[in-house]
Amino acid sequence: MKKTFAILLASTAIAVGAGIPAWSAMHGAALSSARADENRLVRLASDDDRGDDDHERSGRRGDDDDRHGDDDDDDREGDDDDDGYGGSATANPAPAGTVAPPANGLFGSGAAPKVKVN
Amino acid sequence: MKKILAALALTTALTLPGVALARPVTLTTTLKNYGGDGAYLAIYVTDAKGAYAGTLWMAGGKAKYYEHLADWYRATGGNTAEINGITGASVGAGRTLEITLDLADALFDAGYTLHVDAAVEDMRDGPNDASVPLTSANAGREVQGRRYVASLGYSM
Repeated sequence: MKKTFAILLASTAIAVGAGIPAWSAMHGAALSSARADENRLVRLASDDDRGDDDHERSGRRGDDDDRHGDDDDDDREGDDDDDGYGGSATANPAPAGTVAPPANGLFGSGAAPKVKVN
Repeated sequence: MKKILAALALTTALTLPGVALARPVTLTTTLKNYGGDGAYLAIYVTDAKGAYAGTLWMAGGKAKYYEHLADWYRATGGNTAEINGITGASVGAGRTLEITLDLADALFDAGYTLHVDAAVEDMRDGPNDASVPLTSANAGREVQGRRYVASLGYSM
């Protein structure tokens, strides 16, 4: 009888340990979807070539001329991180690996993304 | 003994669905040789109604440029809390970005669509440059982009 209880206890602990995070992710997805319905009924599909996004952006991102093969994080000389575009300072996001991904219901766990650029 | 087996079967049945509620998914975005600086890319998801559901990756770390990722910015207001922990470097012309994420199963075959907005310094913005519905059938396929994105796909 003790063995039965021990097995039940162990398997229940495993089920709870694996099930709760997964359930939370599902629940988070549902919440995220509901939130989008309530607050952000913005239709995003930009199927067409819109004229209003065709502007040139002269002077943007400093005057760095390191162009071809530039896959870096554009940490350019003389380009401070706190000189907000248009005069408003905006905090930069935390890079991957420094904090967990946001709890937006899309991610199954808090595991850091793996990234590769070829 | 039968009771033990029954208990094991029951708890295993309860456990397995929980384990299977997320899976590793690799998103692959290849850029064209457009002849400009590294591109900022916002990779995000919309639901079946076309409403923003969340961001999966941001390539490019400076918030002041996010307004050029027009559709993403319109949905989020450029809120960097949406992309903490999922932000990396911008991606150079002709390069391929591969991101492996642990994504909820609920995203697949449920009307969600994967989108990429792109922006390059001193060049035209590329809102919704590429998009592909998140379905099991689309896994392993690639779709073509419009402006900077050559192809977008995912595998799982």
